[in-house]
Order: sequence, then C-alpha cells, then structure tokens
Amino acid sequence: MALAETTATATREALPAWNTWRQALRATMLLSAREVRLAVRTPAYLLPNLIVPIFFYFIMLGSLKGFASQAGLANWEGFLLPMSLIFAVQGGSAGLNMVSDIESGYFDKLLLTPASRMSLLVGAMAADFFRIMAQATIVLLVAVVAGLHFETGILGAIVMVILASCFGLAYSGIGFTVALKTGNAQATQSMWFLFMPFMFLTTMFAPKEALSGWLSTAATVNPMTYVLQGLRSLSMEGWDAGDIGTSILTIFVWASISISMAFLALRGRVR
Amino acid sequence: MLALETERLRKEYDGGIVAVAGIDLQVEEGQVFAFLGPNGAGKTTTVRMLTTLLRPTSGRATVVGFDVYKQQHDVRRSIGVALQEAGLDALATGRELLELQGKLCGLGAAESRRRAGEMLELVGLIDAADRQVKTYSGGMKRRLDLASALVHEPRMLFLDEPTEGLDPASRQAVWQEVQRLNKQMGMTVFLTTHYLEEADRLADRLAIIDHGNIVVEGTPAELKASIGADVVSVTFGDSGLDAARTLLAEMPGLREMRPEANSLTLFVDNGTQAVAQVIRMLDAAGIEMGHVTVSHPSLDEVFLQATGSRLEGAEAARGGGIDGAG
Repeated sequence: MALAETTATATREALPAWNTWRQALRATMLLSAREVRLAVRTPAYLLPNLIVPIFFYFIMLGSLKGFASQAGLANWEGFLLPMSLIFAVQGGSAGLNMVSDIESGYFDKLLLTPASRMSLLVGAMAADFFRIMAQATIVLLVAVVAGLHFETGILGAIVMVILASCFGLAYSGIGFTVALKTGNAQATQSMWFLFMPFMFLTTMFAPKEALSGWLSTAATVNPMTYVLQGLRSLSMEGWDAGDIGTSILTIFVWASISISMAFLALRGRVR
Repeated sequence: MLALETERLRKEYDGGIVAVAGIDLQVEEGQVFAFLGPNGAGKTTTVRMLTTLLRPTSGRATVVGFDVYKQQHDVRRSIGVALQEAGLDALATGRELLELQGKLCGLGAAESRRRAGEMLELVGLIDAADRQVKTYSGGMKRRLDLASALVHEPRMLFLDEPTEGLDPASRQAVWQEVQRLNKQMGMTVFLTTHYLEEADRLADRLAIIDHGNIVVEGTPAELKASIGADVVSVTFGDSGLDAARTLLAEMPGLREMRPEANSLTLFVDNGTQAVAQVIRMLDAAGIEMGHVTVSHPSLDEVFLQATGSRLEGAEAARGGGIDGAG
C-alpha cells in the first residue's frame, strides 16, 4: 500500500507558520504569563519561600550576633543575607506546576498545540525566574529595613538580587529535570532534600577559615561556597572582581548542566 | 482524498511489549471513523502516535497529508485532540483556557477571544465561562476539553474515548456534537471507543483492534451483514453448559456456536425458529436455562466473532429476552 502523495499546501492558509523564532517567543511569553497567573492564584504556595528565609535571617541574627562580634565579624547582617537569599531563590517549588500539568494531562494538551516544545520549558523557567527575583527582592528589602548595611550600595544590592536569582534559575533546572523525567510530584518535591548538603556543607554559618577537618574539605569542593562568597563580597567587602567572577562562573556552569539536563528530559518525554 | 493513512504502524515499548503490532488504516476525508476495542487493545497508543505525542517504533502514518514523524508541526496545526483524560488547567477559567489554546494554535488575540466565546456557546458553558475549571463537573470538563480541541477550527478531530465516564445525557450531547461537526462542517473524526452503541451510532466505518492488531474493518452495516445469521444466546446456571453444547451442536440450521463462561451464542439461519427449537431441545434433555435471547447480528456479535470474546459491558447493553425459559 502506497501512502498518498500530498504537500504542505494541504493545510489551511489561515493559520500562520509557527516555526519562526518570533512565534516561539510569543508562545514562551504566553506560557510564562500563564505560570505567573498560576502563582498569583496560589499565594499559599509562595508564602513559605518568603517566610522561611526571613525567619532564618532574624533567628540567626538575634541568636549569634554577639558571638559573631566576639569573633571579629562586624557585619553579621551582611554575612547572613546571602544565606537567606539562597533559601528564598531555591524555594523547592521548581517544576511543581509542570509536574501538576503532566499529572492532570494538561501538559499533553500543550504538546498537541503547534507551539514550539522548547517554549513549554523556557516559558516555565522564565516565569520561575521572575518569581524568584520577586522573592529575593522582598527578602533583601526586609533585611535593609531591619538595619542591614550594604557595602556596595544600591547597585550592589541589585547585582546581588540578579546573581541570586540566576542561581535560583540554575538550581531550578534540577526540579524541572526530575519533573519531566518522572512526571511525579512527590519525586519532584523531594529534590528539596538535595538542597541540604549543598547548603549546609558550606560556609553558611561561618567563614571558611573557621571551618575545620572534613567540613572544610566539603566546603572547598561545594560549588555553593563560591556562590555565597560572591554574594557576601557584595554585602560585606565591596566590589571584588575575583569573588564576583568566580560566583558568576559557578552559576553559569551549574545552569549549563542543569538546564541542559532539563531540555534532555523534555526531549525524552516527547519522544 | 484520504485524511489518514497508516502503513505497518507499530509501537513496541521497553521490554518488548507490543502495544500496536503494525496496523494499516485508511480514513476518507469527511468520515467518522471508530476504532473499537477493549481496554489495553492499543487504541490510545495508536491515537498518541497519530497525534505526534508518541513516536512510532516503525511504520508510517500521514494525517491530513502530513507525515506524523517528519511533519509533526503541520500535523498539530491541522488537528484537534480530546484525549481520554480531559487535560485541563484547573486554575484557569474556561474562557482563559480556550483563549490560550487559540493563541498557542496561532490565532491572534482578538480572534482567540472571539473563537473562545463561540466555543463556550457551542458546548453550553457560556454561563460558567469565567469560573475556574476546578469548579466544573466531569461532564462540563469533558465539554470544555472538546471545545479546546475545536477552537482553532481543525480539519480533523481525534477523540479518545470521548464519552467514558459520562452520564447518558452528557453522552447523547457529545454524540450530537460529533454528528453536527461531521455533517455540517465536514470535519473528519477519528474516535476510539469500547462502546459498541457509540461506534454503531456514529461511525461511517470502523475497525476493531485486539491485542494490537486490526482484526476486522468495514462499515457497521457491512460487518453485521458479514455474519449473515441471526443470533440466539442462552445463559446457564452452574451446570448445563457442556451438555447443552454437545446437544445443540447437532441442531439443524446452526452455523456456528461460541461458548463463553456461562453462556452459548448460536449463529443460526432463522432466529425465530431456532429459539423455539433450542428451548424444546434443552427442556427435553432436562437442562436448566437462565436467559434466552434472539436478535439480529449487532456489532457485539461482530466483535465476538472477530475476537472470540465480548467487549466489557456489552452483555448489559444487549436487548431483552426470555427469563428462566427452562
């Protein structure tokens, strides 16, 4: 049996071709706007991402400021803020909307549209980036209102929010990868635990010089140490090109790996 | 012109599980084509391959003239799909969902808004248009899903088990809508179902799939005529089946006999004469009967003859008969 000879002109002309970057960008913006609408309609989903970092900031500030002063750490607020920002931007919710769409079947509905499949992931990530940036800005503003002195001024604060948000985006690649690979909400949410070693085996609570033994070694090989170092240099030390550059490079490498993994997982899902 | 054509289309999952064993199908433009089969027969896998959601292991398929693997983009522009699970965004309103669907399918903002309104009117959801989908009932969700499949005016519509889980009134409404789309708009419809009545009522042509293979294909009338006999069914209690089978095998006018768990289906030349004869013979032999029915061939019998078993739920759907005839 021979298949019928047909050409692309068989489709309706009323529908424009959907294969240009402009149309892919339009789909990305539409899907991103949908994600923002989801976030606005589920505020309870966002609150922990704000409350936890602010709570940690004030608890650590109140309980350890005296020890920090005795140890010669004058700007304890500036030391703590990057930790709170990292908590705010990783949030543990990356990929959860996507996995919810997969479980409900809506993801298939989106895959059945002519929109570029890459737009599904880029749109979700773009919305996540804006959410992360809003959270980081709120946490930073609360810290400033509570008396934080910022060594690099307003510009440094803006750079810190952008850097932290970029890290959040890089970290979200893990959540999106698991969401697309498993299609399972519990598996995606459990990725929060992966954050623990990244966060605690580092210079979160004390400068690297104060760490000893295996913890010092773990902190040295932990990429999070270099992200924190870059952020801290902005709040505590001034414009240190070495620390900021290392932080940017770390975030870039992390993002390259995690986002590539997410795209591979998307490709695997639509095969 | 053919709206759909497959050539040895096959899907094999990891572990060597063959879901679709290499099927050949042809659907003419403007037809309603029903793909009938029990759960797990390969219907949904076939639909997912034809709608670009799943890559075939081998073989080829074209939908409205486009290759489902090489021209996925063009296929998706030209089809509307309502899958078995009504995949919807629970937090969006019905109107938002349809407008987004329209825009993602390439319509402009104003056009999407207009089409969303039209579709909401069409499926009777205009009063619920600005409520979040999570507040909709199952039937409303199914209608919204159908509307979202139609918002961009596709040339071909795929419906995977469109009335599964719907109450009789909602089922009727979906059937009427499918008929209207086909008759008034000339839309080609490919639907999968395991309801014989649905296939009989809607389909111009149908294929029966079983264990990944197409076992029979034709118009409902052709398939029923191919049996060429009336059908007498007799049910039995705990015993009697084997004895009845031996006894009735010698009955004049019997073409074929199909035993099942507690019943016999007899394909006979003349149903009216045969039913009286069956009752007489079984009664004389002291074999107790439960329920005896006589009917003209239906798709149920077509399915039974093609696959050797009945579709789940088909028993209940069959017509009345004589209770406790023995």
